[in-house]
Amino acid sequence: MKISVNTEIALTYLSSRKKQTAVAAMGVMFGISMFIFMQSLMKGTNDYFEKSSFSTTAHIRLYSENKVADAHMLNNFLKDNSTKILTNPKQLKQSQGLTNPYGIIQNIRENPQVVAVTPQVTANVIYASGSVNINGTVAGVSIDEEDKMFDVQSNMKEGDLHDLNRVNNGLLIGKGIADKLSLRVGDNITVRAGSGSPMIMRVVGIFATTIKQIDETKSYANIVQAQNLLGKDRSYVTDIKINLADYNNAPMVAKDIETITGYKAEDWVQSNEQLKAAFKIRAIILNSVIGVILLVAGFGIYNILNMTIYEKIKEIAILKATGFSGKSVISIFLQQAVYIGLMGGIIGVIFGFLITFMVSKIYIGAGTLKYLPMSFYIPHYIEAVSFGILTTIAAGFFPARKASKVDPVTIIRG
Amino acid sequence: MENTALKTTNITKYFHDPVTIPVLKNISLEVKKGEFVSIVGKSGCGKSTLLYVLSTMDRDYEGELEINGVKVTGQSLNNLAAIRNESIGFVFQFHYLLPDFSCLKNVMIPGLKLGKFSPKEVEERAYEKLKMFGVEELALKKANKLSGGQQQRVAIARALINDPAIIMGDEPTGNLDSRNTGIVFDLFQKLSHEYGQTLITVTHDEDFAQRSDRIIEMADGEITNHGHK
Repeated sequence: MKISVNTEIALTYLSSRKKQTAVAAMGVMFGISMFIFMQSLMKGTNDYFEKSSFSTTAHIRLYSENKVADAHMLNNFLKDNSTKILTNPKQLKQSQGLTNPYGIIQNIRENPQVVAVTPQVTANVIYASGSVNINGTVAGVSIDEEDKMFDVQSNMKEGDLHDLNRVNNGLLIGKGIADKLSLRVGDNITVRAGSGSPMIMRVVGIFATTIKQIDETKSYANIVQAQNLLGKDRSYVTDIKINLADYNNAPMVAKDIETITGYKAEDWVQSNEQLKAAFKIRAIILNSVIGVILLVAGFGIYNILNMTIYEKIKEIAILKATGFSGKSVISIFLQQAVYIGLMGGIIGVIFGFLITFMVSKIYIGAGTLKYLPMSFYIPHYIEAVSFGILTTIAAGFFPARKASKVDPVTIIRG
Repeated sequence: MENTALKTTNITKYFHDPVTIPVLKNISLEVKKGEFVSIVGKSGCGKSTLLYVLSTMDRDYEGELEINGVKVTGQSLNNLAAIRNESIGFVFQFHYLLPDFSCLKNVMIPGLKLGKFSPKEVEERAYEKLKMFGVEELALKKANKLSGGQQQRVAIARALINDPAIIMGDEPTGNLDSRNTGIVFDLFQKLSHEYGQTLITVTHDEDFAQRSDRIIEMADGEITNHGHK
């Protein structure tokens, strides 16, 4: 490949000032490696929280929601054009269960984005053992599918979750319930739903999530048992839980399902708004830190190029006298900036990866979190390099333009 | 007309600092192709200023400048740079080499910029030019390691690399001893007489001026003698 004169001059200038070049490249390197490190940490953390929220919530939950009374019936009855206003409208109680749940499930399965669908019967219950009562909810599920969607197995402390399929009236209880009622695997527990009669069930397993509130209230039963508990038939289903191939599509798919079924489809974004807020805040903090780092690196390059131009003002005048145009001079100095950026960028990527890798080995050991969550996400590296090079070009442009405006006559004549 | 290398019409230039004074007054001048012209005059008479106007680097003047029959007054900076690169070789009063580069590279750079020859050919030509001034053994040395006289000779070699139509020198032999001045003068004469290149030099060196084809005398911003023989 033929190297142009401008490039040759730019490279010679860089190599004849190795120290300055190295310092400038180091500034860029720090900027870029910090960029990668922070991005990796943030994405890792976000991914971790997202994942842990999916250990309890499905991507989409379909359920029947009470509706606010509207003027629909009035319009039907009066059949005139007057505007009807309902003052103080009340919630209309809808039936708790979904109509034709298995038809709906069949329907939802046809959506190509959906990877898992499972029905659930949720029952508010009172657990009792001895003379102590506590409130909670029983989730009537097919435990195998539940395990596939939420990895229940990883939370199991005692017992075997598959016993739910084997033991007729088995129950998996949260660790909080077990502690409060001093229950162990194999013990009996009385469960009473609001409208049904009390049932004696057997504890077949104990689980612990990282969320105390869940551990103190939630239990799993076979879906049939939950229906029995509520005194309902086999077609009674309160929720349908849906997981997608890509959870980022949840809001869109939820809307589709809502229009098809007419029931409320709540996506995980709606049920985890505090999570989204935390993501946003972290993103702002991160971006401002990165912005400052790159700004500082940019000023480093700006300074060094500016100094170079003061030192080389005579040489710039000669170049111009011998036929280099302003454009060529800009190209010479801008190229220097770009090479500094590239050098810093390449080392920065390596360095950034190393920091990320080392930090990902720091032991945390809180809850289910063993190591600091770091993500190794290629686009971060590409972004970092492009931001780095953009910064260096911006920082190099102003000194380069200044150099291009040097008037050879005033410099050469002195 | 096609015999004219350079022509000025009524060039007038002012210095504005600290007060506005005219340094060049209505200079009309014609230099033929292949002519070897010396411009002489006392310090401050405006001869260097005139040379910088002729070189196209100084654009702050009134009047008109033509080089090789093309009007250059009012052309864009980029065009002027291209004209300088191709048709004007300039030797400065102080040698002015690029210190980070070898002598060879210094000579080559305007040639590489022009791009008329391949880098390899440019290198060969640069060696040739250096040989003409007896500094070829310094070719690979860095420019800032050379003595003043050596640098000046390299600078002259650089001015010749593109075989420019016009070579301009501002005291081109100012840093040379009499032996080297002689070498340079002989070369200049050869360039003008054998290769048809035009030479315009500003000089204080009485001998040097006397031996050139034509002496233009200046005083107080005016040409007092066009020196047509």
